[in-house]
Amino acid sequence: MSLNVSLHELYRTSKGVTYQCDLTNRIVLNFADQVMAFRMADFVLFRRKAERVNLHEMIFNLDDEYDFEVLEAPKSDQKLVLTLCDLVQLRDLLAGTQFTLNLNSMLHEVLYTYSY
Amino acid sequence: MKDLQRLRTSLKEEVELALNAQIKMEAEASSKYLAMASWCEVNGFLYSAKYFYKQSEEEREHMLKIFHYLADQGVMAYSPEVGAVPHEYPSFRSVFETALQSEINVTHSINRLVSLCRRVEDYATENFLQWFVKEQVEEEINARRALELFDVIGEEGIGRFTIDRNVYKITKLEVE
Repeated sequence: MSLNVSLHELYRTSKGVTYQCDLTNRIVLNFADQVMAFRMADFVLFRRKAERVNLHEMIFNLDDEYDFEVLEAPKSDQKLVLTLCDLVQLRDLLAGTQFTLNLNSMLHEVLYTYSY
Repeated sequence: MKDLQRLRTSLKEEVELALNAQIKMEAEASSKYLAMASWCEVNGFLYSAKYFYKQSEEEREHMLKIFHYLADQGVMAYSPEVGAVPHEYPSFRSVFETALQSEINVTHSINRLVSLCRRVEDYATENFLQWFVKEQVEEEINARRALELFDVIGEEGIGRFTIDRNVYKITKLEVE
């Protein structure tokens, strides 16, 4: 029961979903049947890593090595092997998650500053 | 729901990225000064070389200051990649002209950072950056003074020799 209270859905797409766990202060990413948990700082690093991948190169370079991109999750043995479409979907999910985190932070600042 | 974003850091992402960009700029400035020191030393301007070595060290200290600030704020400071810098200068005077232009560029960059901090209401970082604002005033004065020596002394005869000996007096350096 307490698990339900501490786990908040942040963003959902047809390919995945992210949650915030208030017990562990982790962002939980469920994408392509893989579940990863990030500290906030690591989530930001992972999102930037996904944003830095050169999609243009993946589209136009015909070498086999550009068919997939391997993204490693910080401080874990997990990695995602992504096609171009996967990568676009993942970026969408991560950007949406970041938006929710920013919005939550903004709401905290505006609404809750004086309530603690 | 906890505010994990704010728990991680007080810095807005755009400020974090801009400070990392400033780290890179300071590292590049340090590298440029080192190249100038090398040029001066090889061409017999030992006092000027000493001056530029000192400037190079100072730029690295500036870089580390921002580096530590980012780390203190709980975000990653990136060790910058510094590309090739010019090692060839057409004249003794042009070295100092390049140095002044480099300082002006850094000043502009710091000013843009302060503007960004005000826009996103990051007053702590703005306060931190005030040290750099003051420092840049001094850096520009030094760079401009060095160039003034060329006009005041002139380059004819033993002019360049005299200029070189007077450059160190700008910051009261000693040549070993």
